Amino acid sequence: MTGSVPPTRCLRMSIELRRLTKAFGSRPVVDDLSLAIDDGEVVVLLGPSGCGKTTTLRMVAGLEQATSGEILIDGERVNDVPPQRRDIAMVFQSYALYPHMTVAANIGYPLRVRKLDPGQVDDQVSRTAAMLEITSLLGRRPRELSGGERQRVALARAIVRHPRAFLMDEPLSNLDAKLRLQMRAELKHLQQQLGTTTVYVTHDQAEAMTLGHRVAVMNQGRLQQFDTPLTIYNEPATRFVAGFVGSPAMNFFAGEIDVVNQRFVNRDLALVLTDEQARQFQQLGTKQVNLGIRAEHISVSLEEKDGQPALIYVTELMGPETFVILQIDQTRLVARAGAEFRAEPDSHAWIRFEMNKAHWFDQAGQRLESVPSA
Amino acid sequence: MKRLLKYALLTMALLATVAPVYWLITISFKHEVDQFAVPPKWFLFRPTIEHYLDAFFTRSFGRYFFNSLLVASASTLCALIIGTLAAYALARFRLPANLDRRLALWILSTRMFPAIVTAVPLFLIMRDLHLVNTQLSLVIVYTGFNLPFVVWMMRGFFAEIPRELEEAAMIDGDSRLGALRRIILPLATPGLAATAVFCLIVSWNEFLFALVLTQTDDAMTLPVGIAGRVTQYGIKWGAMSAAAVVAMIPILAFAMSVQKYLVRGLSLGAVKG
Repeated sequence: MTGSVPPTRCLRMSIELRRLTKAFGSRPVVDDLSLAIDDGEVVVLLGPSGCGKTTTLRMVAGLEQATSGEILIDGERVNDVPPQRRDIAMVFQSYALYPHMTVAANIGYPLRVRKLDPGQVDDQVSRTAAMLEITSLLGRRPRELSGGERQRVALARAIVRHPRAFLMDEPLSNLDAKLRLQMRAELKHLQQQLGTTTVYVTHDQAEAMTLGHRVAVMNQGRLQQFDTPLTIYNEPATRFVAGFVGSPAMNFFAGEIDVVNQRFVNRDLALVLTDEQARQFQQLGTKQVNLGIRAEHISVSLEEKDGQPALIYVTELMGPETFVILQIDQTRLVARAGAEFRAEPDSHAWIRFEMNKAHWFDQAGQRLESVPSA
Repeated sequence: MKRLLKYALLTMALLATVAPVYWLITISFKHEVDQFAVPPKWFLFRPTIEHYLDAFFTRSFGRYFFNSLLVASASTLCALIIGTLAAYALARFRLPANLDRRLALWILSTRMFPAIVTAVPLFLIMRDLHLVNTQLSLVIVYTGFNLPFVVWMMRGFFAEIPRELEEAAMIDGDSRLGALRRIILPLATPGLAATAVFCLIVSWNEFLFALVLTQTDDAMTLPVGIAGRVTQYGIKWGAMSAAAVVAMIPILAFAMSVQKYLVRGLSLGAVKG
């Protein structure tokens, strides 16, 4: 995005959330959320279902009243501005196409409501339809369309009036896997063309990583981390983020630090710390920790009898690589291996941990910042 | 065997509903001597239209017909407008302390006592408002009578329409009322049609309030007018039947004109209420 020429009309807005809270009854769904979204930026709200991401989006849209806190658009407080006057477009998970109108009437609706003259409406509708390659569908009704086509119509309806921000609520989740990847790419391309500020809600971490300039990971109404996809992957701020982002999920081991022997130990494992890690732990005085390590930082070998012995639980061939799920007594973990890796269940293997790539979290799940992991 | 039984039952049901109507129609076309001939003349009789001429030209049935048409359509329209807006509010807005649901039950409860209970007080109110023996009094009463029904029917229909549609409309720049008019109401048309038919039938057939609140031809409706032909001097079966036959026509015509909505509307409303 950086360095690309901005569109002729600079139709963007910055959105800021300040200590935003939404409670249904006494249960907070969104809890003290603060976020600043720059104009032209794509921010993805990522989290499991029920984490408050959709509610947040609905508050930005004006469909839901905030219990407390502020929503600012271009620096102005809009808590009490109705959705009609926020100049925001939204794509719903269900697409929310108007079933009794043709595709053309659906796309033209935002313009007709704004009392544009019919000639102009037709003009804009056909131009937008051409952009999304749905010109041949203009005369049909939503129920005659496939899921992917409906998705395009919903997008067309959102972009036809050049809003200053897009809100997207899991727009791809109703599509089958293949179509989802295709639409994801198209969506990204479209956003880069338009440069419109976008808030995108999803529970799919791959969507978040690929689409977002920055990703806000939420859990149970609380913001866990708000950063670039790369930082979120490489330096997850909490154990939750570490476990939620990345596939296969990160391995976690609860255990304690044995400062004397420079080791992380639990029932099944005894892993040697790097000198730097040992020094930091000595300073911290923390004993109970959670160790997180991604599958790609664990190597498996069937021959070199070097490292931690383990049993093969299963192997999952993914095409270009293999996920190897291993068992060490009660502990199960997953490692990445090449596509050629083959092993029978219950056969013996030896694994090595790249300890300098380990992530450390305290018992509350917060990242131990001072302990280095490269 | 099973098929046979099915058709036998259907034939019986059909006979039970159609036979009185058939009898009514034949009486309206029979000379008075043929009307109660023994044995009854089922099919062969000398037809006449004298009763129709009698009913609508020498007697005031034409006037009753007009009154009925006016009162029924005006009260149906009023009930639909007020009731639909109320139903929309009850379907979409959550009020504190479950007030929306209580309000809906309270509205329904107004239909739970017999009509006669309100007849006397309504008469006194209308008398004080100088509205006795006017069509307006009937329009007001029928509107009130139909409102709970409209509210409950339409509330069910609105509840079935996804909220996201009007949310999308509002984000697209429409007002709430605009979204109601352009998005929600078109989708609720089957429900609206079914509800309108019911209201129309109720208002069209209503007898008690019409009897209490009207006294002369100025405001009298068909049911009261027809019953009024039973006098101490004799019963004008022919004229009554002719009027009744004509009275069937408007409802039948309306129901047929909205039939394509009606089937869907009735079955939808039945599941959710």
